[in-house]
Amino acid sequence: MIIQSKDITKPVRESADVCIIGSGCGGGASAKILSESGKKVIVLEEGGYFTPKDFQPTEEFAYTNLYRQRAGQATDNLAVTVLQGKCVGGSSTINWTTSLRTPEFVLENWARDFKVQGLSLKDLDPYFNRIEDYLNIHAEPDENHNAQNRLILDGARKLGYRAKANGRNTKDCANLGACGLGCPIGAKLSVDITYIPDAVKAGATIFSGFRAESIEVKGGRKEVLGTVIDQATQKPKFGFTIEAPIVILSASAIFSPLLLLKSKLANSSGQVGKHLTFHLTSALLGLFDNPMYPSRGIPQSALCDEFINKNGDSGGFWMEAVPATPTLASLALPGFGATHRALMHQYQNMGATIVLVKEIDSEGSVTVNDNGRPSISYSVGPRDMQYLKQGIKTTAEVQFAAGAKEILTLHARTTSFKSVDEITRVLSRADWGTNEIALYSAHPLGTCRMGEDPRSSVVDSRCQAHDVKGLFVIDGSVTPTSLGVNPQITILAIAEKSAAWIAENFDQIVR
Amino acid sequence: MSARVPPDVAKQLRFFSPHEYLIMQAVAERIVGAPTSGTPSASDIGVALRADVFLSTADPEIQDQFHQLLTVFNAPLFTFLFDFRFSSFINMKSEDQDSYLEDWMTSIVGFRRTGFQALKRTSLSMFYTEPRSWKEIGFDGMDTR
Repeated sequence: MIIQSKDITKPVRESADVCIIGSGCGGGASAKILSESGKKVIVLEEGGYFTPKDFQPTEEFAYTNLYRQRAGQATDNLAVTVLQGKCVGGSSTINWTTSLRTPEFVLENWARDFKVQGLSLKDLDPYFNRIEDYLNIHAEPDENHNAQNRLILDGARKLGYRAKANGRNTKDCANLGACGLGCPIGAKLSVDITYIPDAVKAGATIFSGFRAESIEVKGGRKEVLGTVIDQATQKPKFGFTIEAPIVILSASAIFSPLLLLKSKLANSSGQVGKHLTFHLTSALLGLFDNPMYPSRGIPQSALCDEFINKNGDSGGFWMEAVPATPTLASLALPGFGATHRALMHQYQNMGATIVLVKEIDSEGSVTVNDNGRPSISYSVGPRDMQYLKQGIKTTAEVQFAAGAKEILTLHARTTSFKSVDEITRVLSRADWGTNEIALYSAHPLGTCRMGEDPRSSVVDSRCQAHDVKGLFVIDGSVTPTSLGVNPQITILAIAEKSAAWIAENFDQIVR
Repeated sequence: MSARVPPDVAKQLRFFSPHEYLIMQAVAERIVGAPTSGTPSASDIGVALRADVFLSTADPEIQDQFHQLLTVFNAPLFTFLFDFRFSSFINMKSEDQDSYLEDWMTSIVGFRRTGFQALKRTSLSMFYTEPRSWKEIGFDGMDTR
């Protein structure tokens, strides 16, 4: 059953075996596994509930209804825009479908440096296989790549770099290009149309428009307290209380630590909210003689992974395409006024490529501000900055190899190259400080990190808080390091594995 | 200040004061850029009014910061302290407004660059999410087969 806040007419008090906060990859997968195991499950989702036929493929609709802060969520200094979903299905509802397994070297790092147990590639292999089957993850045939993905494949291969089609979680995709706006034909097998309906079929109740504000632990029982939010006005309607012996926080790497900090729980290590990673992203906009139609076709179907962990330091960067819808393109372009508007006139001839850095020495955090909302800070480390610069330079070379005539970076002060020869000289003069280059994240991770040492981690290898029995964090916050890949498959696999363990050990956990 | 907010617009405002609305409108005009023949201006699209609706449902700290930003950005005291200009932003000539915005965009003071980004993002997102802005960039909406 899915209950929306518009149908709520009085304060809500319910109880369940398991209360899950958040309905994205972590919450959705946990809800399915636990409800199918016979547990009474309640899922709380702050955002609204939409079916594919509700989605209108416009930025206006999507940003207003499906994204956090109208796609404007950012670090406190606005240096990094942090894109997250806020709807049933979470960020899976608005992501660009790229579906990749966790790299083996990352899992090895977790085992070596954080003593994480049971998450080797061999351990996760059955989960990856099952998820890939369930979500129909497949690489697109060559003819399905749009011009921007073709750019990566052709440009990288010309320069001898490894580039390939990536997996996507779609079925009967019509190549509409609307993945980031909510797929209007239900072809994207996101959590809202896979795990959540299966969880509901098995008896789970989903409350949408329910914002969890705090968790109280009373002996073996826990209460999740919060506010029912009117989706039209975003104003509070009523309070709610959900009582359950097991609470799973799946509210993302921004909101899970926020709830723990507000609730003063699970933080004896002092690590809650720390070690935020972003999969730091910037982009290049190439101008081509021919139309590139940057918002048409499959948004992300190919990538270049030549430069990830190439030096064996687990850092590096890679390249993916990005659907440059008009607003995203306008915000990325440098400058303002007449110059900016003239660039927008070349919109359809732009080819956008993003550079994503797998961080090794950047450091971010989430704390609670005076209004009880998240305060996000982030500082780019020197080695990651070097990888970002190298990534921008290399991506420019790839774009030129694919036929770009001029390439713009996302620096506030217009920075462009008209030939390969200009790249190094121009970049050496560019400004790299806060708000001098536009930076993004669609993959915030790591603020409640996993490990076996309670002094340096928040949850154990099964995602249970070291400090509070029966309190779990199952989402992107548990990754001990940056992943270097789009995270949805990693989160789903960790969620399926942890939820299965909870189901098997329920009585022991709640005893 | 010579400009006035039309009464029907003033009645609709949920977040901006009438004075803030005028500042936002002036900022949006310069950030979006002047229209060429047949293309809409920021005012034609109603950028300031759209921003008002958006900000009226934003988190409280964002609302507070935006009010403060508009005050600091426009106030003659600050335009003088920052740039030795003796006028509020809304009373500057267009070329001076552009130069003032450029100073904020490239300032060595971090909070001015942050402030510029807030104004740029608000102005452009309110302009380019509106379908009437699409024709001039050759965009005809997402594929809806």
